[in-house]
Amino acid sequence: MRAVAVGQAELKLFWRNRTALFNSLLLPLLLVPVLISVDADGVPLVVGLIGFALLMAVYYNLVTTFVARREELVLKRLRVGELTDPEILLGASLPSVVVALGQMVLYCVVVGVITGVELPSRPWFLLLGVLGGVAVFTLLAAVSSAFTRTVEMAQATSLPILMACLFGSGLMFPLSALPEGLAAVLEYLPLTPVLELLRAGWADGPVLQPLIVLAVWIVLGTYAVQRWFRWDPRR
Amino acid sequence: MFALLGTNGAGKTSTVEVVEGLSRPAEGSVRVLGHDPFKERSLVRPRMGVMLQEGGFPPDLTVTEAARMWAGTLTSPRPVDEALSLVDLAHRASVRVKQLSGGERRRLDLALALLGKPEVLFLDEPTTGLDPESRRNTWELIRSLLREGVTVLLTTHYLEEAQALADRLAIMHRGRIVAQGTVSEVVDAYPSRISFVPPTGVSLPVVADVESSGRVTVRTNELQSTLHELLAWAARNNVELSGLDARSASLEEAFLAIAEEAA
Repeated sequence: MRAVAVGQAELKLFWRNRTALFNSLLLPLLLVPVLISVDADGVPLVVGLIGFALLMAVYYNLVTTFVARREELVLKRLRVGELTDPEILLGASLPSVVVALGQMVLYCVVVGVITGVELPSRPWFLLLGVLGGVAVFTLLAAVSSAFTRTVEMAQATSLPILMACLFGSGLMFPLSALPEGLAAVLEYLPLTPVLELLRAGWADGPVLQPLIVLAVWIVLGTYAVQRWFRWDPRR
Repeated sequence: MFALLGTNGAGKTSTVEVVEGLSRPAEGSVRVLGHDPFKERSLVRPRMGVMLQEGGFPPDLTVTEAARMWAGTLTSPRPVDEALSLVDLAHRASVRVKQLSGGERRRLDLALALLGKPEVLFLDEPTTGLDPESRRNTWELIRSLLREGVTVLLTTHYLEEAQALADRLAIMHRGRIVAQGTVSEVVDAYPSRISFVPPTGVSLPVVADVESSGRVTVRTNELQSTLHELLAWAARNNVELSGLDARSASLEEAFLAIAEEAA
């Protein structure tokens, strides 16, 4: 796969970027004991941590990566080569995705060992949730990058999606604690169906609706990327 | 080689970007190697090399890593070392891109454009920021590519570069082509010039413009006979023409005249 060449270069850059290294490798390790002291229940904790990895390691990391490569004119250069547009985006997002998947495995192992979580009875839903989540948040990161002028601005432009998903998708507190009307609306946030699928890996739960919502987000995200993604610097 | 010249903001880069398939033409059609470069990108790209006016590299990669990444995206790349030595960058192979000088970065850009062994090469201001020696070396490299049969589309600000390398050229002004042809076809449309400072009080045998400094300029389409006439007259009358300078029209003069006319 030709996109891997870009991914390898990105991985080297990732190792050389101390801030990114700290945010993706050390920060999650600090997070685990904090969360364990708050919530001793295993499955919700694992699900929440995977959601957190999708937001920070995939979505936020990729907004900054796409903006940085665009402003460095790297995207423009890659575009005159043989790679197709999707291959360029895939290559640039590979390391972040790999790191996020690594974090998720780490969370599962650490939380599993400490709280004794059972193995998921329906692991395919877990897998679907993770893969769908990675796809959705990669696409959303590409869309957000189009509205982000500089790498520093990414902290502000990523806030709407981060906040909505942190507080509205049952990551911090269960949706059932909210008024019914509001909870019904929040079902349509991009992270909510992912978390529902993850939970469905362990226990019976709704599966069809989350799958549909997730698919719609992927379609919308693909359209928005084609429509708005910028390959040239914003000046 | 075809060279595209033009005043600043004439639309050279926009034109080249359409030909490269980066953007879709607003109207009309473009063919590169017989294909539409925008819609049939996958057919055209493996056979072309592009050096953008401004291309970027991740600043924290080394020269070799940047070239290796690029080679990894190509169908049939030449060895990375070979491409780097073509542009005299082999000795900088393990240096981070951010530590390169502007001229070295330009040459790395050229190396990447050559990595895919292109049949068609797009060079957008390839020697901007190069020192005179590197510029000569780059010209030699481009000449050897031309001898190998590579087709080159060049845009440049350096008119002597186009004059030295191009078979045909076009001059753009405000989005339109105002002159085109071989270098001599474009240049021959403009008169040669003879200039000198005559002693005061002599009347010249030819029509001439007099500048305030006392220097006069004669414009002629027949340089040899006009010059002969002038020198014969000077010898007969024992007149000294100091600072004598006679030259055929250069591309630079043609270019300046075109820019002036069009303005």
